[in-house]
Amino acid sequence: MSALERQRRGLLAAFGASALLTLFPRVAAAGAGDTRLLLVLLRGGLDGLHLLPPYAEPAYAGLRRDGAVADPIRIDGLFGLHPAMRQSAAMYRAGQLLPLVAVAPPYRQRSHFDAQDCLENGTATPNGARDGWLGRCVRAMSGGQALAVAAVMPLALRGGSDRVSNWWPPLPRPVDPQLLQQLQPLYAADPRLSETFERSAGSGGMPRDGKGAFALPEAMRVAAQRMSAADGPRIGFVEDSGWDSHRNQAPQLQRKLAELDQGLAAAREGFGAAWPRTVVAVVTEFGRTAALNGTDGTDHGTGGMALLCGGAVRGGRIGGDWPGLGPSQLNEGRDLRATTDLRAVFKSVLVEHLGLADAAVERSVFPDSRGLPPLRDWLRA
Amino acid sequence: MSASKATAANRFGLGARPGELERGGGDGREILLAQLRRPPALDAFAGLPGSVETMRLEFRQQQLNRAARVRRAAAAGDGEPAMAAAADPAAPVAAADETPPRARRRARDADPAQAARERSSAARAGAGADGAADSGETLRRELRRQQLAEFAARYRHAADTDAPFVERLSQFWSNHFAVSIDKGNARLYAGSMEREAIRPHVLGRFEDMLLAVEWHPAMLRYLDNAASIGDDSRAAMRAQKLGREKRGLNENLAREILELHTLGVDGGYRQEDVIELARAITGWSTPGPRDEDAAQSFVFRANAHEPGARRVLGRSYAEGGQEQGRAVLADLARHPATARHLSFKLARHFVADQPPPALVERMAQAYLREDGDLRALYRALVESEQAWSADARKFKTPNDFVISALRAGELPVDDQARALVGLLASLGQPVFTPRSPAGFPDTAADWSSPDGLFKRIQAAQMFAARVDSGDISPYQRALAVLGSQAVSGDFAIGLRRAGSASDGCSLLFASPAFQWRV
Repeated sequence: MSALERQRRGLLAAFGASALLTLFPRVAAAGAGDTRLLLVLLRGGLDGLHLLPPYAEPAYAGLRRDGAVADPIRIDGLFGLHPAMRQSAAMYRAGQLLPLVAVAPPYRQRSHFDAQDCLENGTATPNGARDGWLGRCVRAMSGGQALAVAAVMPLALRGGSDRVSNWWPPLPRPVDPQLLQQLQPLYAADPRLSETFERSAGSGGMPRDGKGAFALPEAMRVAAQRMSAADGPRIGFVEDSGWDSHRNQAPQLQRKLAELDQGLAAAREGFGAAWPRTVVAVVTEFGRTAALNGTDGTDHGTGGMALLCGGAVRGGRIGGDWPGLGPSQLNEGRDLRATTDLRAVFKSVLVEHLGLADAAVERSVFPDSRGLPPLRDWLRA
Repeated sequence: MSASKATAANRFGLGARPGELERGGGDGREILLAQLRRPPALDAFAGLPGSVETMRLEFRQQQLNRAARVRRAAAAGDGEPAMAAAADPAAPVAAADETPPRARRRARDADPAQAARERSSAARAGAGADGAADSGETLRRELRRQQLAEFAARYRHAADTDAPFVERLSQFWSNHFAVSIDKGNARLYAGSMEREAIRPHVLGRFEDMLLAVEWHPAMLRYLDNAASIGDDSRAAMRAQKLGREKRGLNENLAREILELHTLGVDGGYRQEDVIELARAITGWSTPGPRDEDAAQSFVFRANAHEPGARRVLGRSYAEGGQEQGRAVLADLARHPATARHLSFKLARHFVADQPPPALVERMAQAYLREDGDLRALYRALVESEQAWSADARKFKTPNDFVISALRAGELPVDDQARALVGLLASLGQPVFTPRSPAGFPDTAADWSSPDGLFKRIQAAQMFAARVDSGDISPYQRALAVLGSQAVSGDFAIGLRRAGSASDGCSLLFASPAFQWRV
């Protein structure tokens, strides 16, 4: 019996049969509910013009000077992928990667934290909701779980549903079942922590492959593997930081984009047979200045980008409306104008891919989003 | 409202050590006010290097690494990179011991302890060398060792201090002015920033702390101001004349000063204010490898400073070199929006996730009335009835959970503290590594996930296994650290019946009562 198995049995003994159902839930309804969505949030404001350089745009080279991506993988007459995105380029050619240009949440200021809050809470303002749009989405679904691969529960998944959990590599030490038994009545009497405690035993003890730093590729692989199970979470969340590139950004992004590229490949592998039913959405809170700043980096801007990836995506082309980089086309003369509200992308995924009703999405998941036109032709028929 | 000692220790302090609740005055409020009257002893930090000293080691290490690369390239018979590297004036060939620069000699004359520290760290690093191949590596290890010693000192002090309220405040400000060691060039300075810029001012004026922080290499590097250059500065002009690539303004630090450090995101500033403040603080930088004489870790680069008057929040600031930015910060420190922002965050930290607005307003008024005196702000907090309310509850952060377990279990923190650093990372609050300049979050929703609670239970067992029970039973220990009100019913029974001291302490540290500040 492995240490893990011992631990699991210990937990079962500690909790008794009533807790069994919440610890190891039965398979959710199969069929329509079989699709998967993994959201990957890159915190810090990814420079979309560096990931997807518009190499043929006349203004690009002048704005970026010698910080322009010199040798993009040309995937389109106007755009190329950064050379670190080799595996992603292959997915693009296989029709499984759809880059969306000039996307941003409705927030239009330049604070990372407010922009991330806005992206995660699914409203137009940082304080527009205290829970997250994915959390509300789980509540709106009739069944199914959500999992964040994160040390703390991200805002995006908060929302009071007991079908949301998070996971991060555990400490090696197994927990004494007797201690759990003693703690059970104490936590049961604590109204704020009773549910957290009941679910804590289920979240712990899951294994982790590999050693060393737990970086984006490994987090994406773990999320995908968990989600690939027949009764696995239908919604997943992975986050990464380190995308704020004010200074000397070329080497920084070379490294980070290579990680993202590995992460997407790891997700495809992790999803395995579920890949054709999967959408991976890679998003960031805002874009950056169109021009390189005085320290070979870029400052906070507006229009960013998003990637939709997966077997369910009709990719192999560029989505979104490109506003151009000419002086008169830039927002406030400094950054890419956002032409697509990120909520429209999310809404389309929820309705067309996860099968939520339009009305439910506009009532509870993205309030005040009725006017946003859905994304067209993005889903593989 | 009674101000109990248990509340003073758990809501305002770092959790009691056995014996702490029996000591001091009769009233919790008076115990806290007494801590504010005298600066605490900081013995745990003696002997740690200052940021100037660390910077010299850092530059020396870089120099040795470059020299090693040159040698390797030469040995490989690849002449071209070797020549290119040798042509770089910042890459001298590894030489014998450098002549100590004037400033260093001055510092040694003035401070024998400093001289002793330098000797011992040089000896440990074995860095006198005439360029042994692994000297850069040796220095790298030495810097890593110093960083661990710094972290160990931080937790040893928190575990031992007799002024835990003041330590909570120090760590609060350290998180308010968050820097992250995951940014490479700021990595070595987060600890010294807390020691050099936060602790000396924690019982002083906010303006002084603000300036000390914004001048510290940790912050100047973390938020990129060290490399920011005014677009019309002499440095930019010269670069243009020489046909070199234009360097320029970086607004990162200015934005966070306004959004996070002073006014708050709703404090009424606009993008123009960000740019104007960024211009006002151009030239605020740190020494580079060529500034051997630097006696401070802050330098003002007049050449990089944007000339001219600046206008921030409707007020004009005449050209004045480094004083210009300082004048803006002085006004920001006194701004009513700053008073409210700081008061809200402090009230949230100590009292409730959604603190009573009247409490916040009262604190802000005290701050403004006393010209930004932080003690006045803390007194307004401690003297309010709301701060002692029975409803006020805060869920401990992982950091505070760990410190309170160290205190309750009287656990020693060893010099390496590797295990402690690893544990805090596993619990979701790695030392000096918030995910953004906004610092670690501060509400129950941020920290009370099932996964987080499971890891606390694991950690509780790990701590309990190390507790030396002496002659205190787990039940007595629980009474001594939580107070009698919190130890009753099933909890008390479980503690009394514990089969071993370790089992009992596991139950104590893992209990819900231990996760809350009440």
